[in-house]
Amino acid sequence: MRYAKVSGAALLLLLVAALGNLGIGASPIPLPEVLRALFSFDLDSLDHYVVLSQRLPRALIAIYVGAVLAAGGAVMQGVTGNPLASPSTLGVSAGAMLGMLLSVFVLDAALPMQGFGALSGGFAGFALTLAVARLTGLGPDPRGLPLILSGALTGMLLAGLAGALLLTDPERRAEYLGWLAGNINHYYVDRLALFWPFGLVSFAVLMALARPLTLIGLGRERAETMGVATRPVMRLALSAVVLGASSATAICGPVGFVGLVVPHLVRPFTGAHLGRLLPVSAMAGAALLLLSDVLARRAFMPFTLHTGVLLELVGGICFGVLVYRLYLRVEARR
Amino acid sequence: MLRTETLSCRLGRSLILGDVSARFAAGRFTALVGANGSGKSTLLRCLMGIVAPETGQVLLDDRPVAGMRRRALARRMSYLPQANVCPDHMTVGELVELAGFGRTGLFGSVSGAERETFRHALQTVGLEGAERQRVSQLSGGQRQRAFIAMVLAQDTPLLLMDEPVNHLDLRYQYAVLDLVRSLVTDHGKTLIMVLHDLNLALAYADDVVLLKEGRVLAQGQAREVLDAPRVAEGFGIETRMREIEGRTVCLPRGARMVDLP
Ligand SMILES: Nc1ncnc2c1ncn2[C@@H]1O[C@H](COP(=O)(O)OP(=O)(O)OP(=O)(O)O)[C@@H](O)[C@H]1O
Ligand SMILES: [Mg+2]
Repeated sequence: MRYAKVSGAALLLLLVAALGNLGIGASPIPLPEVLRALFSFDLDSLDHYVVLSQRLPRALIAIYVGAVLAAGGAVMQGVTGNPLASPSTLGVSAGAMLGMLLSVFVLDAALPMQGFGALSGGFAGFALTLAVARLTGLGPDPRGLPLILSGALTGMLLAGLAGALLLTDPERRAEYLGWLAGNINHYYVDRLALFWPFGLVSFAVLMALARPLTLIGLGRERAETMGVATRPVMRLALSAVVLGASSATAICGPVGFVGLVVPHLVRPFTGAHLGRLLPVSAMAGAALLLLSDVLARRAFMPFTLHTGVLLELVGGICFGVLVYRLYLRVEARR
Repeated sequence: MLRTETLSCRLGRSLILGDVSARFAAGRFTALVGANGSGKSTLLRCLMGIVAPETGQVLLDDRPVAGMRRRALARRMSYLPQANVCPDHMTVGELVELAGFGRTGLFGSVSGAERETFRHALQTVGLEGAERQRVSQLSGGQRQRAFIAMVLAQDTPLLLMDEPVNHLDLRYQYAVLDLVRSLVTDHGKTLIMVLHDLNLALAYADDVVLLKEGRVLAQGQAREVLDAPRVAEGFGIETRMREIEGRTVCLPRGARMVDLP
């Protein structure tokens, strides 16, 4: 019953955030007008036009990206037992970003192929993080900071390469500079239209695996003895996470923070079982991205900020707080 | 019946188990005893098929465990590790419910009978009504009991437990041992348990397997295996065995015991 309340609250939050996002923009549009635009569209109304052609696409992108990244973070944290694991801290987002840019700048690929570029990049970035962790002898324990440091190293390396790649083509550079910072923008909606099935498949796979994945959170050996074939389950689940997160990056560039923090915010209410944590994380992640999108556009008027930049800012602070609370403070106490 | 055939096991470079042929009879309680580092936990992990032996094999009813599917195995054997980890925010109820995975699989739903098993498991360890509590916020002993409940909820014919009564107060040490004893006596379950307290082994176990440095020093009925010379050989300590009410008790023979009045 408690879960029903929690998921109901998350849904309500998502709804409020979505309506808020649609109503508040560069110029506020009253709520009734927003609803009218959605349900009885008037061709002559400029407001309706703005809502449908600009704000709705943006909101849908925010919902998709927020949900996919938050779910991915919840699974990565659950499987590794590492509270700082997420698509953006383990090299997936940076890999997808570089893969996408490579497909554009080097291969001149069309949109669908760019998606595959991002996907291969996402897998490569994640694999590189794991390889760095292994090569540097950071140990087999995925719970500590070493894995996160490897992810950070990989992320920096790949972001540096992406920056260098941008320099090779000054003309297209301007076009991708915003995307590189994580930009939720209505003109990316055709990418959403193309890539959303990735996120859906990813989420469906993760939900199906929720129970064995939760068991893996108790330790791999433990999960094995309780009937989970941990190797295939982990491979499938992490592939699903990479699939979803890469598609999010392909749509609006790398967006940090959501995957890392949302599961932490949600877990106290849902518990650690992924069957409950995943859907609520997805809704909360979507809501968070909708709200930060509004904030990024309104807070620094007349300037508008890229949502990704704002999240990077907030995310950096939260990352620091989490590291302090989860690692440093504990060590100081010892 | 579970048994090992000339099992040897290597972790890293060192040989942890050598030539272990042990039998764990069906419907009996076998205590696995031995000094720290003698390989008890490693043997249990080999029995569960989570550590691959270097040579030899583990046979469950004459079928090698190595070839069995994980879920099939989880319906027959459950395992309580020596050390347990649990993610923050996981509740006692969730923990116990997860034990049903071997039976229900990915898409199966939890039946009423299943719920009854879970409830009963929690009741047995005195944690009924604690379903909503976070495992991480329990005391050490309560947490151990939650994990014992998880193993009981798995409801398998074979139970392997690695020092389950560690951290428990005396009441729950006896309660848990009474319970598993009745599972063996009344419900025909097979139990293999690592125990450090030889008196508990003598009081509750049918059989004993005594390990020393990765080898079986002796195995058989508890009272026959655990005599003073064997304990001396296995643990390097002097003890006295005394009969009290027809049962054997093991007393220390240290020079530094409290003086008798
Ligand atoms: N992962 C590992 N790698 C290398 N050696 C290991 C590993 N795990 C255990 N060992 C070694 O194997 C030996 C047996 O360990 P095991 O945990 O089986 O002992 P035990 O009998 O359960 O001891 P205790 O009573 O302390 O629990 C020890 O010497 C230990 O150092
Ligand atoms: Mg041990």
